[in-house]
Amino acid sequence: MKFNREFFHRFGIIFVLGILITALSVSTESFGTLSNLTNVARQVSINGILAVGVTFVLLTAGVDLSLGSVVALSGVVCATFAHPGQYPVLVPILLGIATGGLCGCFNGLLVTRGGVAPFIVTLGMMTVARGLALIFSDGRPVANMSPGLTNLAGDVAGVPIAVLCFALVALAASVFLKNFRLGRHIYAVGGNENAARVAGISVTRVKLFAYTLCGLLTGLAGVVLAARITTGQPNAGMAYELDAIAAVVIGGTSLAGGVGTILGTILGVLLIGVINNGLDLLMVSSYYQAVIKGLIIVGAVWLDRRQARS
Amino acid sequence: MLVAQGLSKKFGDLTVLKAVSVEFRPGEVHALMGENGAGKSTLMKLLAGLYQPDAGTITWRGHPVHWRSPLEALAQGIAMIHQELMPIPDLTVAENILLGREPTNAWGWLDQKLLQAEAVAWLKVLDCHLDPQTRMRDLTVAQTQVVEIAKALGRRADVILMDEPTAALSDHECTALFKAIRQLCQRGVAVVYTTHKMDEVFQLADRITVLRDGEWVTTQPASNFTPASLISHMVGRDLATVFPALTPASQEVVLEVQALTREPYFRKVSFQLHRGEVLGLAGLMGAGRTELVSALYGLLPATSGTITLKGQPVVLRNPADALAHGVGMVTEDRKGLGIIPALSVQQNLTLTALHRFTQAGVILGTQEKQVSQAEMTRFKIKARGLTQPIRELSGGNQQKVLLARMLLDAPEIVILDEPTRGIDIGAKSEIYALIGQLTAAGKAVLLVSSELPEVLALSHRILVLRQGDLALEIPASDATPEKVLSNAMPL
Amino acid sequence: MRPVPRFQVRPYLWTATLVLAALGLGGCKKSEPRQAGEIFIGYSSRDMSAEYTAKLSEAIVAQGKARNVRLVLVDAQADAQKQISQTENFISQKVDVIILNPCEFEASSPAVERAKAAKIPVVNVNSVTKATPDAYVGSNDEEAGVMAMEAIAQKLNGKGNVLMIHGIMGQSAQLQRDAGAHRVLAKYPQLKLLDQQTAGWDRAKAMALTENWLQAHRGNFQAIFAQNDEMAMGALLALERAGAKKEVFVIGVDAIAQALTAVKEGRLDATVFQDAVGQGHGAVDLAIKIAKKEPFEKDVLIPFQVVTRQNVDQFLAK
Repeated sequence: MKFNREFFHRFGIIFVLGILITALSVSTESFGTLSNLTNVARQVSINGILAVGVTFVLLTAGVDLSLGSVVALSGVVCATFAHPGQYPVLVPILLGIATGGLCGCFNGLLVTRGGVAPFIVTLGMMTVARGLALIFSDGRPVANMSPGLTNLAGDVAGVPIAVLCFALVALAASVFLKNFRLGRHIYAVGGNENAARVAGISVTRVKLFAYTLCGLLTGLAGVVLAARITTGQPNAGMAYELDAIAAVVIGGTSLAGGVGTILGTILGVLLIGVINNGLDLLMVSSYYQAVIKGLIIVGAVWLDRRQARS
Repeated sequence: MLVAQGLSKKFGDLTVLKAVSVEFRPGEVHALMGENGAGKSTLMKLLAGLYQPDAGTITWRGHPVHWRSPLEALAQGIAMIHQELMPIPDLTVAENILLGREPTNAWGWLDQKLLQAEAVAWLKVLDCHLDPQTRMRDLTVAQTQVVEIAKALGRRADVILMDEPTAALSDHECTALFKAIRQLCQRGVAVVYTTHKMDEVFQLADRITVLRDGEWVTTQPASNFTPASLISHMVGRDLATVFPALTPASQEVVLEVQALTREPYFRKVSFQLHRGEVLGLAGLMGAGRTELVSALYGLLPATSGTITLKGQPVVLRNPADALAHGVGMVTEDRKGLGIIPALSVQQNLTLTALHRFTQAGVILGTQEKQVSQAEMTRFKIKARGLTQPIRELSGGNQQKVLLARMLLDAPEIVILDEPTRGIDIGAKSEIYALIGQLTAAGKAVLLVSSELPEVLALSHRILVLRQGDLALEIPASDATPEKVLSNAMPL
Repeated sequence: MRPVPRFQVRPYLWTATLVLAALGLGGCKKSEPRQAGEIFIGYSSRDMSAEYTAKLSEAIVAQGKARNVRLVLVDAQADAQKQISQTENFISQKVDVIILNPCEFEASSPAVERAKAAKIPVVNVNSVTKATPDAYVGSNDEEAGVMAMEAIAQKLNGKGNVLMIHGIMGQSAQLQRDAGAHRVLAKYPQLKLLDQQTAGWDRAKAMALTENWLQAHRGNFQAIFAQNDEMAMGALLALERAGAKKEVFVIGVDAIAQALTAVKEGRLDATVFQDAVGQGHGAVDLAIKIAKKEPFEKDVLIPFQVVTRQNVDQFLAK
């Protein structure tokens, strides 16, 4: 029942997605195939994990510009410990995730205890993390990964592992935000920080949680990416934060905080992914792609907000 | 010159105004009276162009008009001052007053001197001596309201609609406002006005229109009414005494404050609060009452002095500390410090007490719903349902949600800062009854209020603050309005 | 309370029209559906914003048209992950052959492996990957490094200090040109590498780097080897601005148009010609052979050539 109403709130995006999928299935031979749809799912997973993570931060009326750089740093750390015969495969994975978590925690501490605006804090982390990635990797990609780790880029029963990760993360996040007290507190802090404080909520703790969680998920995305390109690349993830935040905002989360759902984020991620994939299949030149993508996104968001107002 | 005929307005399935016809004349103060939800705000917003009527016509100076936005109405000379204040927080007082009509020279250069001078002039009309260079966000609610009024006055409108303008003003500012309104009337401006303060209506209004449940009840010269007859028109029934009987307080001290200080707001304040007692805090705007009670709730911690709760000295650094010690508060600024606008009624209601239906971090949905439903019924909160966004409720209903929220966490000491501001007479009496129930149940209440009759009738004892100092402490039985006021006025 | 209007159809119609129009705009660039027997080649280019890559891609597209095959060009924009996605899309579209201009030695390897797993042949062009493709058309980048450093050694008579500007670290071109350069340096004990840094194939970065080097080492170096022409041009500009060009011999790799003009004007001392057209045409021809199941050479190496003022005219003509 709740799923139903939430669905209707984002009907604008769903409608456009429907049109796109129909039109693309008709005009290309390959869009509707299982292999292509699997590709799309796989291609959106990394952005999807990032988008879910940054949803938490955006809900508290914050922002995180360091996503791309932390993805690179986590990938580098993961790859450094993933050489064959070194450690069991769980070690580089956990270290990569932990790296992201540490960066996120740092962001959170500066925002809450330091009182610095999230834009500035995460902008700083963006450059620092990128620099650290270059330092740890000596400026070149960290290669020679054990097959145990590169297998993460593969499938399990026909479903890409990356997609499973995304799905699990999205499900857990959605359940958390709806049913956990801390989830409710996140909405309260984003909706009216002062009122939340008066109501007895520890705003500091809530924000710290949001940034750290975002960092952990960014670390996970970094590990998944490293597995996919079989290296820890210090230059990976350029501008990934833009795609992630765009997906979240398209999905209905307000940049002012307090409003938004994981379902919306998923829809935003899917919309961008379907457009990218579809335009590639239609063999549209790269230069036109940018313009068309922009038009479709603006159209979808306009319709969505109009419909949500009523 | 401004005539409404047969105006109707629906919001979804809810009809808020049904075929209302009223006529407003120049140079006259016309009061719109009615309970919350009677349709007064809606009528004014229709006249000001914020909403469009579903049926009926508005005639201005003889011509039918269809405002599509408040700007059109404003251009024609109809200005509105809202109940929910909307200043631009980071601009100065002067900039807000002259918003949109800033004086510039031929090249568009801002004339700062003229800006300041005109701002000061309008503030003077309201007997206000604020520095026009102050930033809006540094003002209190009451000061913001004065500035908003100056803004509308400066627009030289022919009709000024005021939605509860005096809600946050103390008696002495009200007098200044009334003087200004009288001046406007002499200039031929029509003033349309709503308030919940009975005595004000009779001081000010020439004619009164009563609305009830969206329908027009009557329009007559003010002299035709008595307070009692007015109330019964508004409510549709006879209201017995509004204030509950006072149950005696116990001798047990639950809160003791010694030499509490936070410059420049209050200094060396000491008092005791007993179980079952209502302690009223009276004083003028700026006397430091809100700051004092905020210190007791951890919002604005004191810099020196001690707070002792049930014999134990405590340090309250934030509201969470206060709540843990059984102190609850409803602030005077429900928009800024009270409601979470994007969340629903239920989510707002259970926000503080959420830990009572949480297990291992998970919210128990059914329990939360049951409790919320019960509270909604108990407090008679008017809303489409538990899931309606709270920002869509009227001010009075929002206040009820905030009260319910605080009480749900079962505090032993209850701080109420202007709890009945902007609430109609029917709801007010409900809140008074609630205060009576709280004390009967053994809770202690600190009541801050600018409405003297309220403070005098509800309290066991009264503290009067004057510019941060405790000027007077007397039992309510010995208190008179004159004694309180004279101690509240600056020396 | 907020007004609740009835469901309006019109905004949906407008949006649907917009979306379909946008798609149509993109789709009209697409040709008619595939004909039987037509060879379908997918080509993923590393980064069209780099001049050499753009030249290479132009050659590939032109050859594709000349030989009447259906060739689709996509730009990976220097993102290995994107290149892998593009390859996956090609596989979905069931192309006959994939021509890959790899972003990165290791990171682009999964693209090759996926194609092979789907039994679609891959031809790498211009750069190599760790995974072995079905065929490779390119030039031996090590040779470019050797030629450039030899030219420097000749000019300086085997004695002096050299600065080297690297491309993006870890890319095969950078690794191999570096290897070639070091081989030559080992031969001339009195030729010393004073410093080396990366400027990521970027002109502006190379210019800033050279300005810093001038601050630190002015008068103390006699030659600069920039691993590509973009960076060589950047270094050249910095030297000219500082009035230090006379003392320094500058050589790049690629022979892009700007570099050739600079050589003719006597500003740039030399460059190493990388035959983009040769590589491009070669790649397409090879791909077609593979698609037609004809015998083909696994490695087609196209030689580099040093370009100086003496022979620059013949390259300008190309």
